[in-house]
Formats: sequence, C-alpha cells, structure tokens
Amino acid sequence: MTFATLASWQGWLVLAGAGALAAALFLIKLRPPRILIPSLSLWQRVLDASPDVTRWEKIRRAVSLIVTVLIAIALGLAVVRPSRLVGAGVAGRGRTLIVLDSSWSMLARTQGRETRWDRAIAEARRIAATTEQVAIATTADGLVQGLTDDAVLVESALGHLSPAGYGDTSWPTVSGIESVHFITDGAVPRHLDPSVVVHSVFEPVGNVAITAFDVRSTLGAGRRGPEVEVGTAYLEVANFSPKRQNVHITMVRGKTTIADSRTDLAAGEAYRQVVPLARRGDPDLHAHVDAPDNALDVDDDGFAWIARARPLSVVVVGEHTEWLRRLVSGDPDVRALFVTPSTYRAAGEDVAIFDRWAPSSLSSTPALYFAPPDETPWLAGGNDERRPRWDTPGNHAVLTGVDPITVRLDHARDCSSSLLTPVARSAKGTPLVCVGESADRRAIVIGFGPSDSNLASAPAFPVLVANALEWLGRPQMRDLSLRPGLTSFTEASRVTRADGESVPLMGMQGSAIGLLVAPGLYGVQNAGARNMIAVNAADPQRSNVARTSLTADANVARPRGSLERPWWLACAFLAFVLAFAEWWTWQRRITV
Amino acid sequence: MPLRFENDFLRKLEYLHVVSKRALAGQNRADRLSPKRGRGLEFADHRPYAAGDDYRHIDWKAYQRLNRLLLRLFDEERDLSIYLMIDVSRSMVEPAKFDMARRIAAALCYVGLAHLDRLTIIPFGNDLGHESSPGRGKGRIFRVFEALEQLEASGPTDLRAACKAFASRPRQLGLVVIISDFLEPGSAGGGTAEAIATASTPVKPETTGPQAGLKILRTLGHDVFAVHVTSEHDRDPGVFGTIRFVDVETGAMREIEVTPRLAAAYVKAAGQHAEALAHFCGRYDIGYVRADAERPFEEVILRTFRQGRFLA
Repeated sequence: MTFATLASWQGWLVLAGAGALAAALFLIKLRPPRILIPSLSLWQRVLDASPDVTRWEKIRRAVSLIVTVLIAIALGLAVVRPSRLVGAGVAGRGRTLIVLDSSWSMLARTQGRETRWDRAIAEARRIAATTEQVAIATTADGLVQGLTDDAVLVESALGHLSPAGYGDTSWPTVSGIESVHFITDGAVPRHLDPSVVVHSVFEPVGNVAITAFDVRSTLGAGRRGPEVEVGTAYLEVANFSPKRQNVHITMVRGKTTIADSRTDLAAGEAYRQVVPLARRGDPDLHAHVDAPDNALDVDDDGFAWIARARPLSVVVVGEHTEWLRRLVSGDPDVRALFVTPSTYRAAGEDVAIFDRWAPSSLSSTPALYFAPPDETPWLAGGNDERRPRWDTPGNHAVLTGVDPITVRLDHARDCSSSLLTPVARSAKGTPLVCVGESADRRAIVIGFGPSDSNLASAPAFPVLVANALEWLGRPQMRDLSLRPGLTSFTEASRVTRADGESVPLMGMQGSAIGLLVAPGLYGVQNAGARNMIAVNAADPQRSNVARTSLTADANVARPRGSLERPWWLACAFLAFVLAFAEWWTWQRRITV
Repeated sequence: MPLRFENDFLRKLEYLHVVSKRALAGQNRADRLSPKRGRGLEFADHRPYAAGDDYRHIDWKAYQRLNRLLLRLFDEERDLSIYLMIDVSRSMVEPAKFDMARRIAAALCYVGLAHLDRLTIIPFGNDLGHESSPGRGKGRIFRVFEALEQLEASGPTDLRAACKAFASRPRQLGLVVIISDFLEPGSAGGGTAEAIATASTPVKPETTGPQAGLKILRTLGHDVFAVHVTSEHDRDPGVFGTIRFVDVETGAMREIEVTPRLAAAYVKAAGQHAEALAHFCGRYDIGYVRADAERPFEEVILRTFRQGRFLA
C-alpha cells in the first residue's frame, strides 16, 4: 500500500493514530447528568418490561465505538489517500533512478480529480520507499536529485517538482544505477532502453484544446486607413473527448471580446475560426475554450500579439526631410514626427532617422543615418568615393529585396566605424551600408543621401527604408509564436514575462538561451528595440490525453486497478454516512 | 419552610370533620358518635331495668304504658383516635412533595383538633419515629406546626416494617392516615413484565411493599386512609438522553438512555403504580386520595379530600 501524501509508515501511523484517538475520545466520554429520583424501582420495572431495549443498550456502546473508530479511519484514509501496491514485482531495488515525465499532459485531471502528476509522485514515493538509494529526474529538468538514501531529500525533491511541460532534455544518466523507472502517461512516444521499467499513470480522459492560435497577415493589411484589417486571428480548437460536447470559445483583444461562440464538436473533431482584426485596437490577443469534459487546463488558453496594431513611432531629424516625408507619412504602420536637429530630443521613439545629420554619439534609439556629415566623431571616414558603383546587394536583412542597380550614386561617404559592420560595398570596396548591433543600440548607416544620389526616386528606396525600419523597430524572432521550453534569443536580449519579471538568460555562442516555462506573452528587448512574443502550449499530441503510446509490453507496470481509483472519495463518503447514521440513531433516538 | 395557614383557610377547615367509615369509640367524650351506649344526647334504645342502674334513666312514660321498668339508652359521643403517619424517608426529600405531605398532615390535625379528636403524629421511614400527641383543642395546632416543621426526610422507606412496629404497641382503634409517596426500594416492581406491558391487570403485591403495611393496619381493625403524595418528577422523568439516575434512598445508580419510548413507558409505569395502589385500597376498604404536589394545597384539601370522602 502506498500513500499519496505521506510515506508508507507515516500513512499507517496516521490511520492508527486517528482510530486510537477516536476510541480514546469516545471512552473519555462526558459524564452524564445525575438525577436524583425517589426510587429506581419504577425504572427497573420499565427496563424489565423492555428486554429488547436493554439488549440494544448493552451492545449500543460497542457498536457506537466501532462506528466512531470507522469514521476516524475513513477520514484518515481520505486524507492520506492510499493506493494499492502496483507492480510490486518491479519495485525499485538497490540504486534506482526515477524519471518522471513532465510533459503538459501529466497535468490532466483523472476522473478522481487528481492529476496524473499526483499519481506519478505517489508512484515515485512508493518506488523510493522500497529502494536503498534513489535519484530523481524529470524529462524536462534532467536530474533534480542525485543518488541519496535520505528520505527527506527525496521527499523534498518530489514535493518541489511540477510538470514543466517544455521540451525534453537528454535522457538523464547517473553512474552506478541498477534500475531505471520511468513514470509516464505515454502521451509522447519515447524510445527507451529495454531495461527501463515504465510505470503508467495513464487514464483516458477527455479534453478540449486550442491546437493553433496565431495572427496572420492578410492582403488588406497593407491598405491605408485605421479601420482596415491588420490581419486575421486564426484559431484551431480540437475536441479530444470520446463524446460530442458543446465548446465555448472566446477571443479577447485587450479587454474587448471580439469573438464569443458556442459550438458542438464531435469526438475528434477540430474547429477552425478566422477572426478579422481591425488595425485599431489593443495588440494582445487571448483565446480561451471551455467545455464540460476538459481534463487539461494549460491548453485552454492561446496568446498572440498583433505587431502591426501598434504603429512604429519614428522621428525624422533633418533640415530638409521632404523626400522622406512622403514615404514615411504614407505608411499606416508608421507614426512619424519630423524635427530639426536643433529641436531634436530623444523621447522614447521606436526608431530615429537622421537625414544628413548625426548626433555626437551613436543614438541609444535604434537609428537610420543617411549621409552623416564628415565631422561625425564616431565615424572613421576619410575614404569617400566619387561615383561609386553599387553592383551587389549585401547579405543582410536590411538589404533584402533592394535592387542596387537602380541606385545611381554621385558620391558616397565612407561609413566605416569600429561600431559598425559594412554590409554593402561599392565595386572598389568602399562601405556603402553599415549596420551596428550591440547590447544597447542598433544602427544603420547609409553613406549617401538624396543630394548624392537618385535615392529618393530609386525603386530600391522604399524597400531599403521599409527593411531598415523593420530591422530597427521590430527585431523579428524566428517564430513569433513559440512553445514553452528553451528558446534562443539574440545575444544581449532581455526577456520579461507579462508580470514584468525577467526571464533568466544564459549566453551561449553568440546567442542567449532562456526558458519560457508558461504560456503567455513575453516582452523581448534588444538593442533598444522592443517586441512581444507569444508562447502557447498548443500541441495536439500532448493535448490528446485520451490516448497513450504505451503498449502492453512486459516492461510496463500495468496498474490502475480499482484501488488506484480515488476510492478515498468513497472513504470520505462512508465517513459522512456513518456519522450521519450515528447522529440519526443517537440524536434522533430511533433505535429504541 | 414554616407551616402556617391563613385564617380564612382555618375557618374553612373548622367546618370540616374527619370521616371515619367505622364507628370507633375513643377514650374521651367528644362530639363524635361512638358504638358505646352512655350519656349522650341522642336516644338509642330501651332495655329492661336491672338492679344498680341509674334511676334517672328509667323511662317512666313507658312504665305507665307498659307497666314495666325500662331504661333509656343513649349513644355516647366520644372522640376519635387519629394516627397521622408521615413518610419521612429520603424519597420524600423533594421539597414540594415533603411540604405537601406536612401541610396535609397539619390541615388534618387542625380538623381533628377542632373536633376534639385525639391526634398522634407518627413519622416513619423503615421504622417508626418519635410520636407526638399535641393534645386536644384548636389551640394546640401550633404544637402540631412545630412538630411537623422539625421533621426531616432521611433514610429508607419500609412501610411494612413501620406498620409492624405500629401494631406492636397496644393502641386504641382509630383512623390511621398514611401520608406517603408509597415508593420503596424494589417495591414498584410488583408485576411481571408482561403485565406491565399489557397494562390490563392491576398488580397486587400484597405481601411486600407498602401494600403489605396497609394490609397489616387494616387487619388490626383500624380505619385506614392512604394519602398518595406524588410529584410531576415522580410521574415523568422529563429528560432525554443518557442520564445517570440515583436512588435517593439507597444511593444505587443506573445509567439509562432515556428515549421517548422509554420515557412513555416510565409514565405508564408510574400511572400503573398509582392505579395498583388505588385498586388495592379499594379492595381492602382503605380510603385512597392522590395529592399531586403541583396542585394548589387548598384545592387538595377542600376538594380532593372531600371527594375522597375523607373530609366532610
């Protein structure tokens, strides 16, 4: 017998203690009131005339004591939640490694309202109780407790574990291990060594999940005007329950509900919904599904971020910026402000464009520089080239789609700097376009301007500016919709959760690795640019908690008999019934 | 509590007198007819004159008519010996009950004193206590009050033993009034379980218990009158649940889970106990009156006792 919340000996101790305490309290009963009467003879006569009463009176106390002890034990059982020893033949021996499957599906509630994870922890306790030394590991975190025979350490490790849900790490290994026990629901198929003993905590339960949720651009997204669509929200909901059920779907943008519907989904049926998104409105999207037969909560919510819902704020600094005004002002995704160098003050804009003028140091705001003056101190300069020829576009996101052939240059200034990296050069090697990316700033320097070239009228101009603004203002993630788990970011990024708390990042070979544990929206700051990414747990494989990949092979400790079911609920019910019966017979005195 | 009666009540008592079913001759002249022939005022009979008879009682008119000497006989008016036996056992310790018993005794004493009867107050438990005779005349009622106020409820009850002790001394035949709750250790049993359960046959425990005592007194030739003092507490436990009942006389304890059914059975048993006593008294020509302690005392005396043909 194993106990969900306590070690075996503690569980038995609690049960024995509860019974003993109840019996002691029963025996130390309150002294009944004394009443003086003239003679007991009348009572004796009454009792003699009612032999059935006296007979019941004789056993009443014993019966009441038994009922009281049973109530205490039943309540004790309900608290300690015992379960039958499952697969006792494959219990741990010697030095044992216990690996717990910590995928999201382990959070599925069983019919007894406990989760598969609760069962897994109980099973781990049982194995640990029969093992000399034990190590604890999870599929997500790896080894969390090295080999130990200290029950307190094991209990502490088990007590602090929770299903991480994110991607698996490599299979944990511990030297000197004699047996490995893997406790899983089999939602995710794994290739395991044949020596690994698998303990199943699987119990088929129904679930409804969001399997996909994202914001997609539409053809109308580029049109001007505030009322046009900025894109569409794509939502996919699947019913993994074996029965048809009514699913309530809501989608909220900011604090405004933009979709609220109910639909009947047959077993295994998927439902897709596309909701147009107006440009005006909050950028955060939250979808939620609810259904009667829904064992897993984590996949009931979906998050998305409408990047284009919030226009990019751009400040254009220069004396003669009319050539930029027509381009920048016409873009609905950009909110532009034009100032002269004398009035320019950095005010938290997303991007700054400096036209033939540059501040004395690189701006902390992501900035695009057109033909910075010769006296710019942070530029090396000195290698200007007359009539340079720009034949090949560089290999950088800023230059993607830019046709250099259409750009005719009369003069190009050398934009090289120790802070910048040339990404496009003239035929003679003069840097024409340089980019700089550091922990706190991001810059693009173009060595020519409208007075030095036909840039303002060249077809490459709008493409170049659009690319520049996108790279400066919205540092793209590889995938804006991520899953929980280890995620790679650009080096020197800063990631924050919705509550403002930073996600620890670990630098690794030019990038930063962070663990995004829970679904939700995360803010990413890099080189002065801000962006939001959505993390969703949508995964049809893990959401389908009605199936398992475990097969009835010999290594699976086939469990889950009747005692594995939450019969402690029945214990609680039994305690209630006994208490009620005791109260009924005692207080209402229907027995005599 | 001091025993005192209102003047109005005393005046009402003076109009009453104790009724004896039998004509019993006392020792002293009084205003109660006796079976003795003597100097009374009421003519009873004639008898032939014999030497030595008082000439003053010769009926000369009869001699003139019959030419025979006949002597006129009169019923002699004597007093009545009233023995008031008051139960002073622990079972009477309940104040209301004991007070009712003493007040009844006092009232009867006053009625007797007013009619010049000879009273003897005899407290009893399992034996007779100190007897006191206040004398004759209404003025002695304060001595009666004093004697009754000094009584205390203590000890067990054994009416049979007390009556035996009463009979062991030569006494003038008279009216014996027993004021008691007639509850003795082991006395109320009396009947079989079946008899109690069916409640159809009165119980006749004539060899044990209070009935045996009453029978002894009746056998001696006394006119016996039983005043059954009860209280609500005796008739109905009035409690439910687990109760530890303590017999005040013996100190014996019994823990009983009193249920409504059991309480009803107790009430029935208490009723049967009184019914059995009344039935016994009727069978042996013993007067019986039940005096509930909760009832107004004056009502008990002026109505219940008169209805019971004890006072007239």
